[in-house]
Formats: sequence, structure tokens, C-alpha cells
Amino acid sequence: MSRSRKTSRSIFWSWSPASGREATQAVGFNILLHWFPAKITDRSRSWGYSAWLGTISLLLFAILAITGVILMFVYVPSVERAYHTIKDVEFVVSYGWFIRRMHRWAAHLMVACVFLHMIRVFLTGAYKKSRKNIHGNRPLNWLIGLALLLLTMLLSYTGYLLPWDQLALWAITIGANIARSVPVIGEQIRFLMQGGTIIDQNTLIIWYTLHIAVLPLITTGLIAWHMWRIRKDGGLAAIENIPVEEVKGDAIPGKTYTLMGITQGVRPTVLYHRIKDKTGLFVPTTLHRIGIVLLFTTAVVMFLSLFFSVPLEEAASLEWTPNPAKAPWYFLWLQELVTITTVRVRGITLNGGFVGGVVIPGLLVLLAAVWPYLDRSPDSTVGVWLPRKRVIQNTVFLLIIIAIGVLIFIGSVLRGPNWGIYMPWEAWPHHPTMI
Amino acid sequence: MTTTEQQGEAVKVTRKKFLKILTSVTIGGAIFGNLYMLLRSIRPNVLYEPLKKMLIGKPKKYPEGQVFLPKERMFVIRKGNEFNTVSAVCTHLGCTVKEVKLAKPEKITLPDGRVIVQEWEYHCPCHGSKFRGDGTAYAGPAPEDLPPFDMKIAPDGDILVDAGKKVDKDFRLKV
Repeated sequence: MSRSRKTSRSIFWSWSPASGREATQAVGFNILLHWFPAKITDRSRSWGYSAWLGTISLLLFAILAITGVILMFVYVPSVERAYHTIKDVEFVVSYGWFIRRMHRWAAHLMVACVFLHMIRVFLTGAYKKSRKNIHGNRPLNWLIGLALLLLTMLLSYTGYLLPWDQLALWAITIGANIARSVPVIGEQIRFLMQGGTIIDQNTLIIWYTLHIAVLPLITTGLIAWHMWRIRKDGGLAAIENIPVEEVKGDAIPGKTYTLMGITQGVRPTVLYHRIKDKTGLFVPTTLHRIGIVLLFTTAVVMFLSLFFSVPLEEAASLEWTPNPAKAPWYFLWLQELVTITTVRVRGITLNGGFVGGVVIPGLLVLLAAVWPYLDRSPDSTVGVWLPRKRVIQNTVFLLIIIAIGVLIFIGSVLRGPNWGIYMPWEAWPHHPTMI
Repeated sequence: MTTTEQQGEAVKVTRKKFLKILTSVTIGGAIFGNLYMLLRSIRPNVLYEPLKKMLIGKPKKYPEGQVFLPKERMFVIRKGNEFNTVSAVCTHLGCTVKEVKLAKPEKITLPDGRVIVQEWEYHCPCHGSKFRGDGTAYAGPAPEDLPPFDMKIAPDGDILVDAGKKVDKDFRLKV
């Protein structure tokens, strides 16, 4: 080992491992390294299996946390001052424009990544309980993941309310009114969301506190649980269908060390089978890949922030509503749903806000939540990309995803003033008037 | 022994080592650059504080004697047609001093030899610092005297006090 390497190691390490294997064995002595297992199969680690979307989402969350704290030094959650502090961030604060853009881009990317991650988990059947895995509970982890998806969207929603620009004001107005459409308790929900009967200072401080403290804390806790569950489940679902080598006679008994074993002087044994796949030690193979993912995620966020700006609409004003008033892309499909389900039939108006804004999304979430328990496909489809035996459910799932994508496309590209359909080549009227 | 190793012995920096150095420098630079950006952004470039130059109204508004201006944290003293100001911020740790009216005017000889007649003194409630009527500190932990500020008449007739500019104790604005 070179002298410089020895020096830097002597600063940070109390003992220096002589090899990668020894470094990996340090897992047993180090709480941080306990996060990941000492060995991972090549299949779990492969780019093609998971695209590392979970890790990317976590890294984006970390970027959001760091840039978010910096923004907290400048932002003031007051209806009079919020907008001006954002303008200060854009034009006065050193590197403020860049930090704000990184925050916004990481937010959009995180919503996209957790969504893609969910799609990957579904299509690989990684949410399913497999009979061999007695101690695992992958359906539970799917539920935690769903909760994280909802939290990500909530974090994003509470976040873009903070600049108190026109987008913020009218997004809360619409959201609160959709909440009001819930029968019986709707008005109460809206009152709680707004902190009153009007959207004012109470509203802003509620959403600010949710965004910077409550939701991040819950999200961090759930992320920790989510990753812990992966270890408890034995690793990624990719390992479930790796062929197991037949061992002559019984399974191989082996030693394992547990806290109980050390304290009580008892050493329990586990039975293990050899799996037919190459494995790699955490150091260096997996750590190396984590480094690459970290670099690329940061690079993409910084690249986008250098060359693409993020919007800031005019200061919030109740006197006029932007025309058209569009939600951010990940909510546009809901906005389209609300439009589509607002139907007038023979004098009766179907409340699109309730049907498209509450019922349909609610049913989708509910369906996603119970699906692991309704899924009847065989164990051989766990941890496998697009297996034959799951072609129907995968197709239906993909159709739903595509439908959501189409709705997002319509909402972002084809909708113009007064929410009319305008083809890309049709010009919007300069002064939209009521027809 | 492979050729590369043989060459590595002759050349100080191998290709592998060069790339390692390049990578470390780039990543190190990126980390340092980001940290610098994040921390530098917290330091304000623009201050939204009240100005040190303050308009305090027309001279005819001020009666004979002294007036305490709480927002500007200073005393405005008028003797006939002459004005002067004394800062009300205690030089010890920044509390606002209190005016203490004396039972009868006192003649005080200051340490530098000057003699003044004062009708009031300034006492600080926080740690007991005491100042003469002209701001001279004579008791307590205060390290310096209460400074007087520069004054002039603004174009519209108001008195303009510059709390960023200190003047001598015998400075007077003549109206």
C-alpha cells in the first residue's frame, strides 16, 4: 500500500484492513456498513435488474434535504414575504438560483424515479410473497413503498406551495376544494387543510411545517424501514429464483454470530444452500456501484440545474386566476381525470372533483395495496422481468400506466385557455374570454 | 513481472495512477465546490436593515431639554437654538440606557478637565453602568462613552441624524 494511502487511512481508521475481504469483514464491526450485507449476488447488483432506481430515489432525497436546508436560511413562511424571499434566492443570494433549481429538479426527478421504481417492482413481481422465503414479507415492503410514493407526492405538493405565487395559491384552492367534495366530512377536511375558511397565513405555515419537518421525518423513518425490510426479506427479489445447487444429503450447517450468541455463549447454527450465482463482496464491487450511482445522480441534477430554469409565476393574487391553471406534470393526470369525470347528464352534474380527484385515485391506491395479497401467479415469477405467467396482470398494469401517461400528455400539451383542447399548431387566443 | 510493471518502475506516474489522481481531484473539486456554494449562499449580499441616516422631524417640534427617541435609540438635546444627540445604546453590552433626572443641576469636572453643568444622567439597567449628561462613562463596566452623532438639516427642513458618524462631544447643530 502506498504511503499516502497509509497516511489517510491512519487518520480515519483505527485499524487498517489488508485486503478487500478484510474490509468486508469489517461489516461485522461497523454499524454504518451493516446497512448493506457483506455479499450480494451479481444478479441483485446488476443494472438491468433494478436500474438502481431505489438508490437513485434515496440520493435524490438526500440532495433535496441538503438544498432544502440551505433554502431554509433565506425563505420566510409569511404571506407578505415568502414571494420576495424566493425572488431574493433567484437574484440576490449567491448561487441561490442554482440551489433552487437543484431543489426543484431533484424533486421532479424523485417523483419520476419512485414512480419508475414502483413500475419495476411490479413488473418483476418483487412484491410477492414466495413460499420458500418463510421469514420474508415482501408484500409489507410493497405497502411501505406505496406509503413512500404518497409521501413523495405530498412532499412535492407542499413544496411548490411555499413560493406563494399564483401556481401555489390556486393549487391549494383546487386541492382544498377537491377535499371538500368528500361527502359528510369534506368541509372539515378543507377547514383543517387551510387552517381556516380562507387561504391565508395559517395555510402557509401549516404546509411549511409539513414540508420541512413532519413529512421529511416520516419519510426518513419509512425509508429506513423499507431498506431494513430488504435485509429481513433476504435481499432483493432477484435472488428468489436463482437456481439452488443440490447439496448431497442435508443442507450445509454453518456458523453464525448473533448478539444473543455472544452474550449467552450459545452459537446457533443456520442451514444454508449454495446458490448458483456469482457473488461480490460489498467492498469493492457494490460500494463501487453506489459511488457511480451517486456521481451520475448528482451530475444529472447539476446539469439540469445549470441549463434549465425552474418557473416562478407572479405573486399570489386572489383577484385573478391564471388561464389555464395547470398543476405540475405528476398531478396533471388527476386534473384531466377531474375534467373527464365532470359530466352533466339530464340536469344532474357528476362531481368530477369527487369522482376524478378522490374516488378513482383512491381506488387505484387501494387496488395497488391489496394486489400482493390477491396475486395468484406462481413463485417462479418472483424477481424475474416480464415472465410469461404474469403476462395478463403486467399488461393491465402497463395499460393503466400508459393511460396515466396519456392523460399527463393531454394535460400538458393539448390543454389551453379555459381548459379547451388546442392542437400544438393552433394558437392560443391572446385575450381568452368566456364563450 | 509484466511489461507494465517494469515500465511502472521506470516512470513515476503510471496511467492507472494518473487516472486515479485525475478522478480524485475532479471529485474532490466537485465536493469542495458544492460545499462552498451551499455555505456561501447563506451569507447575505443585500441587507434589508433600516438606514443609519434618520430623519427625526422639524427642529421646532423639540422642546427645551432632552427627548428620548425609542425607535432611533438616541437622546436629542436642545439648548436654545443648539441641538446635539447622545446615543442611548450602552457601550457595555447594548442595553438601552435610562435617563435619570437630577434633583438640581450639578457642576461636574470631567477627567479631561472640562467642566459641564448637567441636569440629567444616563444609567444602564442591565449591569449598572453610569454616564454623565454628555455621555461620559464614569461607573460600571461600560468601556467607552456614549457617542454623540452627526446632525444636519435636510433640504425639507427636517433634522437628519447620521448614526454611522460620530462627532465630538462639543458638536452642536445650530438652527
